[in-house]
Amino acid sequence: MANLEQLKKQALEAVKQSKDIKNLEELRVRFLGREKGELTKILRSLGAMPLEEKKKVGPAANALRAELEQALDKKSAELRVNSLKFEVGLDITMPGTKVGVGHLHLLTQVEKQVREIFKAMNFSVITGPEAETEKYNFDALNIPKDHPARDMWDTFWLRQNEQLTINKKLLTESKKLKVKSEKLLMRTHTSPMQVRFMEKHKPPFQIIVPGRVFRFEATDASHEINFYQVEGLMVGRDVNLANFKFVMNEFFQRLFGKGIKLRYRPSYFPFVEPGLEIDIEWKGKWLEIMGAGMVHPRVFEAAHYNPRDLQGFAFGLGLERIAMIKYNIPDIRLFYSGDLRFIKQF
Amino acid sequence: MKFSFNLIKKLAPGQYDEKLLTEKLNLHSFETTDLGNGVLDISVPANRFSDIASHLGVALEVSVIFKTKLSDFLSKMPKFDSKLSGPSVEVQDKNLCPRYMAAFVSGVKVGPSPKWLKDILEDCGIRSINNVVDVMNYVMLEIGQPMHAFDADKLKGGIVVRKAKKGEKIETIDGQKFDLDSDTLVIADSKQPLAIAGIKGGKSSEVTDKTKNILVEAANFNGVNIYKSSRRLGLRTDASNRFMHDLSPALVEMAMHRALALLRELATANAGQADGKDGKPTDVYPKKQSKKLLELNTGKINKLIGYDFNEKELADLFSRLGFKLEGKLWQVPEWRMDINNLEDLAEEVARFSDYNKLPALPPAVALGVAEEAEEISLVDKVSGFLKGAGFSESYNYSFISKEEAGALPKGIFGAEKPVELLNPISNQSAYLRDSLAPGLLRNLKDNSRFYSDMKIFEMGKIFGEGRSGVKETLALSAVISGKNSALEIKGLADSLFTQLGLTEYLTPDLNIVSDFLKSGEALRIETPEHQVLGYLGSLKDFKNGAIMEIDLEKLLKEVDEEREFEPIAKYPAIERDISILVSKSVRTGPILNFLYSVSPKLVEDVDLIDYYEDSKLGANHKSLTFRIVFRSEDHTLTDPEADREIAIINQILTDKFNAELR
Repeated sequence: MANLEQLKKQALEAVKQSKDIKNLEELRVRFLGREKGELTKILRSLGAMPLEEKKKVGPAANALRAELEQALDKKSAELRVNSLKFEVGLDITMPGTKVGVGHLHLLTQVEKQVREIFKAMNFSVITGPEAETEKYNFDALNIPKDHPARDMWDTFWLRQNEQLTINKKLLTESKKLKVKSEKLLMRTHTSPMQVRFMEKHKPPFQIIVPGRVFRFEATDASHEINFYQVEGLMVGRDVNLANFKFVMNEFFQRLFGKGIKLRYRPSYFPFVEPGLEIDIEWKGKWLEIMGAGMVHPRVFEAAHYNPRDLQGFAFGLGLERIAMIKYNIPDIRLFYSGDLRFIKQF
Repeated sequence: MKFSFNLIKKLAPGQYDEKLLTEKLNLHSFETTDLGNGVLDISVPANRFSDIASHLGVALEVSVIFKTKLSDFLSKMPKFDSKLSGPSVEVQDKNLCPRYMAAFVSGVKVGPSPKWLKDILEDCGIRSINNVVDVMNYVMLEIGQPMHAFDADKLKGGIVVRKAKKGEKIETIDGQKFDLDSDTLVIADSKQPLAIAGIKGGKSSEVTDKTKNILVEAANFNGVNIYKSSRRLGLRTDASNRFMHDLSPALVEMAMHRALALLRELATANAGQADGKDGKPTDVYPKKQSKKLLELNTGKINKLIGYDFNEKELADLFSRLGFKLEGKLWQVPEWRMDINNLEDLAEEVARFSDYNKLPALPPAVALGVAEEAEEISLVDKVSGFLKGAGFSESYNYSFISKEEAGALPKGIFGAEKPVELLNPISNQSAYLRDSLAPGLLRNLKDNSRFYSDMKIFEMGKIFGEGRSGVKETLALSAVISGKNSALEIKGLADSLFTQLGLTEYLTPDLNIVSDFLKSGEALRIETPEHQVLGYLGSLKDFKNGAIMEIDLEKLLKEVDEEREFEPIAKYPAIERDISILVSKSVRTGPILNFLYSVSPKLVEDVDLIDYYEDSKLGANHKSLTFRIVFRSEDHTLTDPEADREIAIINQILTDKFNAELR
């Protein structure tokens, strides 16, 4: 028993004094080693002891083993933590250095999403001029002069000198239409590209035209003097209203998620017949999101197509509106503020 | 346009309330909002004023939607007194006034209108005046035909519908005075204009409490003429708004009969001829509205909609809408000015059957490759690169002020002068932007309250007036604020060009005075053939700011995306650093060019690795350290070879640039 007391004192003191992991492991072998450990030896000798002594020494020796193991483990953990503190030169808990990451404008990102979805459905992406002729912006789209239907599009007109006509390259096609007016304006929608594209291409085709458009109107939280539209046009021998619905269902599900609910209802745009509008259900409300319809025969005629041979659908959507709904943006003017506190959020 | 729910329901009785009606009208007909208190706001499509800018027209839609019958109280004909005789009517301009109907009404008792009539007017936002004027307005609401009543005793001679004469004036009922011109149509008596046709009545023949005899007018006017006159006079009224949208002349007769019946009932008036012979109102209607006959081609309608309607259900629908079968063709009701072709018929079919219930079917098309405009791929590539380089993208307005226009170094993008708007919204946006710079400079200033180091770019169309007209160009501009910004933007341009595949370009001094670039710290960016691609340099008015702007369309023509593998160097390189002291007036560009060209076979790369100015060097001197990398393609270069090159270089640096070796 006295042996055991002495061993306990000796062992615990040695563990306490130990300065590194290596020494600690040596102590573990010295006292608890399977072959020659000092305590192991005592435990092993229990069998040969008289019953009386065994009853006394046995529990004490086992208790010591447990105590010693615990002391070794505790000390070992302590040493490991201390050794870390000593080895590391850099305080990795300091904040990370900021990397200069840029941000694409939210409208660029939304336009890209829209383009990707339509490209996945085999739509080609084209562009067109922002300064347009009255012919393509209105006349060719069955929006007659001096008719209040034209008031749906408040227009910025360009001051024109005698020589000031639009880029001649763009005019060659319209000249064939015996243009009387070549009055220039800032396009009020992306729809002029319908006729421009059809003049140069044969159906069947399906295209989208993203781009900036302009309206002469007072600005407020939901109106801007310039904004972005994406025009769509699909023409073929049999392209019908059911096809339009299919394409739109797919598009909105990909843009807003599978569960999005659409509502189709009648509307009027002079260049489509039938004309429709699409609403989406968002946070319990129906929100207007797109104007569309089947291409009006007059528009086919303006592009020198035979309307009896062809059918098609056209649609237009506002990028700002989509972004405002999807990202909960309260004011359209934020898009044109150039405010980095806005831009860098996306 | 406001509508009374009660009147709609009176005309088309059925089992529906405001809520259900609003929902159904939105789904099948047009945008409708329930304003509460029995008032509906209907946004009347521009092509449907003739039929649905009236309670009767809306009621017809309602009767088709709910499959109910229209009330027949409208078909009551008024009684006429053939002994009455009133003023004559002469229509001089039959193109601008296709139909003019007038009735002389005597024994009118002017007084207040009954409550039911006042209520409907109020629902629709019209103030009650007296029973005669109220009947005119009520009939307009009910039938959609604007009406007018003249005090017949105030007329001098008969009615003439003609263009105004130069110098003629009129004072309208509300006391406004207008000078008329010869494009404006007027209703006149033998002396003076009594009303601006289709727009507003005049004071001189106004119906008052004392009025005994009236002349009731229902007429049809040319829409374009009313539109133009209304704009010219700056006078838009309920009447002009309706006429400018093209009304059917058929409404004239319906409205006249309705008005006369109501006047008899509400003003105990006795109606009769104006100058006719049979006791009926005068009706000048020389050229009748032409009959529209359309084929109801079920196959074509189904092909357009993508559904299988049967002929019978279509025939049912069009009968309910008032179409009449004539032989094999269907006659379009006169009031439906919007229906002219098969597509119009298809719309009726589709909307009444509910777009939401129609099928959605994938289109069957030949597989082709979806293309993307070159411009768009380029924009994607450039914006991706700039984002990676830490730039954030801004969108600015396409419009700038007169002061901002023309600030661009002259002729840099080929335009001669900026393009002006005819009708700008403000002086701040009177011109089309001829450069992206004004917008980005504003962004720098505005954001400097919150950010110190900024990197911003924009891509967009800029405009200029060139010899061939309005020139529209896709441009890129980027700005940096912070230390060393000008050289950073120069480095950015270089990396961008390399990335895009433009390997060779020049950056000579700009040498043009600019409003916003620091003179002497601006470069032109051009192709080896001296095609100007853009410019870059330090900003004059923004501390530590720099800008570059590039014509992306020109750039697109120059870039070559073909790349070819270049063998990785086989032999090791030798690096040598040279430090020199030169006068501040000596620029680094020429030294670099010299170092590159001195021994093209052996010099692989040259870099400026250190630069400083210090009073210890002398006030007018600067120290430059270049690292030159020598490498040979065919053998391992030896130190003596490199030493020999360095010796030559040192000699020339001393001779040519007056450099002091350090």
